[in-house]
Amino acid sequence: MKTILIGAAVAATVVTGATAQEVTLGRFFGACEDAGMDTKASVGEACIIQSIINAADAEIEGVSINTLPTDWGNYYDQIKAAYAGGTPPDVHVMHRHRVPEFAGLGALAEISGDLESVGIDPSDWTASARDAVTYEGGIYGVPMDLHANLWHVNMDIMAEAGLVDDGAPVLPSSPEELLEHAQMVKDATGHNYLAADFAQFPIGVRLVLALMWQQDANIFSEDGTATIDNGAARNAVTAITQLFDAGLADPQLNYADSQQSFLNGEAAVLVNGTWVVDFYSAEAAKEEVGLDNYYVADFPTLFEQGATWADTHMWAIPSPLKSDEDKYMAALKVLAFINDHNVDWARTGHMAVRTSVLESDEYNNLPHRDEYTGTARIARDTPPSERYGAIQDVLNRELQAIWLTGKPVGDALADAEIEVQDLLDR
Amino acid sequence: MNRGYYWLVLALSIPAFIWLVPTIWMVSLSFQPNDVLARTTSTTALGLIPIPFTAENYGALFSFGQTPWWFLNSVIVSLGMTLGVLAVSTTAGYALARLDFPFKATIATICLIGLMVPEQAVFIPLYTMFADFGWHNSYHALILPRMAVPIGVFLMMQFFKAIPKDIEEAARLDGVGWLKIFWYVMLPLARPAMMTLAILTFLYAWNDYLWPLVSAQQREYFTITLGLASIQSNFAQSEGLGRVMASGVIASLPVVLLFLIFQRYVVQAMTVGGSKG
Amino acid sequence: MANTDPDAGAARAGRKSYLSQSQAAFLLLLPFLAVYALFLVYPFFRGFWISLHDWNLLAVAFNPDAKEFVGLRNYERVMWGRNIEWAAFASPLLQGVGLLGMVAAAVLRYRGRISRATAVALATGSALLFLLPGFHPGEDGRWYDRRFWPTVGNTVLFVGLTVPGVTLTALILAAAMNRETRAMSVLRTLFFLSQVLSVTVVTLIWQIMFSPRQGLIANITEAFGGTPINWLTDEQFAMTAIVIATIWWSLGIAMILFLAGLQDISKDLYEAAALDNATGARAFWHITLPNLKRTITLVVILQIILHFQVFGQSHLMTQGGPNDTTQVLVRYIYQTGFRDSELGRASAMAVFLFVIMGGFSVLQFLVGREKE
Repeated sequence: MKTILIGAAVAATVVTGATAQEVTLGRFFGACEDAGMDTKASVGEACIIQSIINAADAEIEGVSINTLPTDWGNYYDQIKAAYAGGTPPDVHVMHRHRVPEFAGLGALAEISGDLESVGIDPSDWTASARDAVTYEGGIYGVPMDLHANLWHVNMDIMAEAGLVDDGAPVLPSSPEELLEHAQMVKDATGHNYLAADFAQFPIGVRLVLALMWQQDANIFSEDGTATIDNGAARNAVTAITQLFDAGLADPQLNYADSQQSFLNGEAAVLVNGTWVVDFYSAEAAKEEVGLDNYYVADFPTLFEQGATWADTHMWAIPSPLKSDEDKYMAALKVLAFINDHNVDWARTGHMAVRTSVLESDEYNNLPHRDEYTGTARIARDTPPSERYGAIQDVLNRELQAIWLTGKPVGDALADAEIEVQDLLDR
Repeated sequence: MNRGYYWLVLALSIPAFIWLVPTIWMVSLSFQPNDVLARTTSTTALGLIPIPFTAENYGALFSFGQTPWWFLNSVIVSLGMTLGVLAVSTTAGYALARLDFPFKATIATICLIGLMVPEQAVFIPLYTMFADFGWHNSYHALILPRMAVPIGVFLMMQFFKAIPKDIEEAARLDGVGWLKIFWYVMLPLARPAMMTLAILTFLYAWNDYLWPLVSAQQREYFTITLGLASIQSNFAQSEGLGRVMASGVIASLPVVLLFLIFQRYVVQAMTVGGSKG
Repeated sequence: MANTDPDAGAARAGRKSYLSQSQAAFLLLLPFLAVYALFLVYPFFRGFWISLHDWNLLAVAFNPDAKEFVGLRNYERVMWGRNIEWAAFASPLLQGVGLLGMVAAAVLRYRGRISRATAVALATGSALLFLLPGFHPGEDGRWYDRRFWPTVGNTVLFVGLTVPGVTLTALILAAAMNRETRAMSVLRTLFFLSQVLSVTVVTLIWQIMFSPRQGLIANITEAFGGTPINWLTDEQFAMTAIVIATIWWSLGIAMILFLAGLQDISKDLYEAAALDNATGARAFWHITLPNLKRTITLVVILQIILHFQVFGQSHLMTQGGPNDTTQVLVRYIYQTGFRDSELGRASAMAVFLFVIMGGFSVLQFLVGREKE
């Protein structure tokens, strides 16, 4: 009996040893080299995702995970180069907005038939999350979050300017009120009202887009017509430039500088995504950091209807992997593990995609979670396009031209419209 | 030496110090704690002196960082490329300089025309070609393209041309074959030129950015130059400034040491490499 | 020495070598010719071939037939536009300079002040400067690619600021340090040191140097009570910032070349000049500069070729911004190819880059030969 048991154990080791699959994983979010495996303790996007990956590496039997470089700057360039070179990672993260481009070429594996086999229940996903990974009827990935632009608020500055009511910040409801509040903050504290990355990553673009959607306008229509040179866009842009013109916001701050300015307690509001909520909470708790009283608010409605820019991070598997059954299953198991840890990822501040998680106490008790419950409802993005990245780049350049180089708004919007139309026509 | 000379040295020391400041600043930041740097970089003497001091950034780098691995890759790629370039350049340079053969002028011209083609003009076709071969993410993908650049052939050719004819002729009269002459007579003579070429190639390989950027997508094949680019383009939150700077110092150490030890050759390499044509 | 043919000598010695001279030569040439043909010549022609296609990086990777032959359309789409017109004074400043350059070339050559090669080079450059900026979109017209020519312009501006900056600084330093003493050798080492750093280390250092919150320059400004400049995100300063970083980085090689050139100037010239009371700055002007003319020309051309291919500084420090003011040609090629997946267009731009670089290489070759 004993020998049989030992024999079985040896056989099991040999079997799992033989089938141990190395799964290469591509992601952005930045590097976190000492993330550990505790998915409840890590802080910040980079470390939380890496701790989940490390845990998956340790806990999924017969699968080892090799994480590829993690930088933002060249992520999509590199992943495309990897696909074109025939060496894509076995699983990789991507944004919802890239699905038309990648799935449209047949680069991504259609996985709807295989989800249940590894314990992923697509019916648990919210409707928007399911939409995010769906392309022409098929499912091309596992959604991980809904992330959106929020207003991160320094309550001490707001209180000093008299803009707090019942423990919540008083936020503007029109462009005029925005200017008024900004002036109140300047007069009371000498600080800027609004900070954001207007000079580098397209956070300023997302701000303007939100203000256009709030007027029921968009930069292009589903049928591929650019609609940028119009009154709605002008309203949206001037709502922001009025702050620059009045010296109540600084357009020259990039991502790191705008964040630092907020953390130093030099700006009342920072427009940034959901991904920094836990990081800012942790910073606000520190004695030496200028920001003490931190609050998160939904993007306020300055025009007719609520809207804020949003996107979804999702995990996909390259289509060529389907020919290697074992590796494909191993990759799916990794996705299932990430799906199981949806609540851990939500600790970043991102919104979960699984209904069961959204309804859980663990999720709802996360810091500041109750302060931006309206965001999921007003989340939006531009219509799907294979040229999303290039279009964002056009807008980013033209908007920067407006606030950094003084290009007349009309000229910039006209130029942007022509260039976006070119991209849509290509 | 007169008084004017000392004034000149003094006057030159000021710009020389300014020239050195950015490097000092990198080294100084790499020895300061990350949480201090997040608030201010000018704790002591505008940040040029690392007080408060910590060596933790280097410790972290070597205990779980990818930097040592990237460093090793850079060593492998740079040495591989250097040896490869030396091998193809000395042989071809010798043949073009010392031997007679049909179509010599044509072949020499064809080789030298290649000097006009910048790497940046061919990286896209090279990329698709290596993709067709399935060669990306490998050491040979990082090494091979640079071996095709004719600057080394040109340098070796110039050198061999300058060696007096009689050395070779004596050997020929003794009936020594051409390959043996090349190996036993010419190569030992060419050592200084090879040293020059080796350093030129090594520096180039260590510092190359664009080709590794498109060819290596897997961390296993990142060179230190590429790895450094990847950590500085991150959103500001993930790595501490001190750690990033420590990586920069580690990445620079070999080339700086190489330069300080072989300064004479580096200078010569730059002079010859720079005035080609 | 009746018979100096080594082959005959070997034969007379009665021993046969295994390979004839030609065989040995081809054997020795083979390794280089193989890598050269495979990794330079073939890719070069393949690049031209790709530029004639509508070629999507990803689509072709998944389906090799997904490319379409489009002839020269990529070139048209990148470099041309609708209703493009030419006028002699569309861009008066540049074209005026071009016109002056052509006149100067003719006059100087006529008086024999410059050599034929220099005259041809100056005239060609000036003619291009007169010709190219004259193109502009007419009524209802537009460039098909609004970014291409501004990008070329930025690259030229970058070269135009960096090359004189490097050349002048290097020349002055080299002239001052042209003595074989221990102190001078240490100083030379200090100035040269940054040259060996990789571009990513250079951008890393200078990105932080320029940062308005964490940078050394900001620290100094604040210590004197000033407001820090947003170097990398301010349109007025971004190009200057990457030029400063580049000058800091690449001064060494120019300095070394000048020092080598200075060694070649005979000491007698200076001694003779000293008799005429020409020392210091006057000696520099009347002896050093004229004798260094060829070196200066070479250094300038070399720098132009080198800096025209700038990529890392723009890609890493400013991402081409703000508002594309630091977008440069190689970065645009990289972006078009790998972000937008349009290899055909990217290759067309690469061919354009090659033509410009090739032009300067020919110039370098001509100038290099002139002395002999």
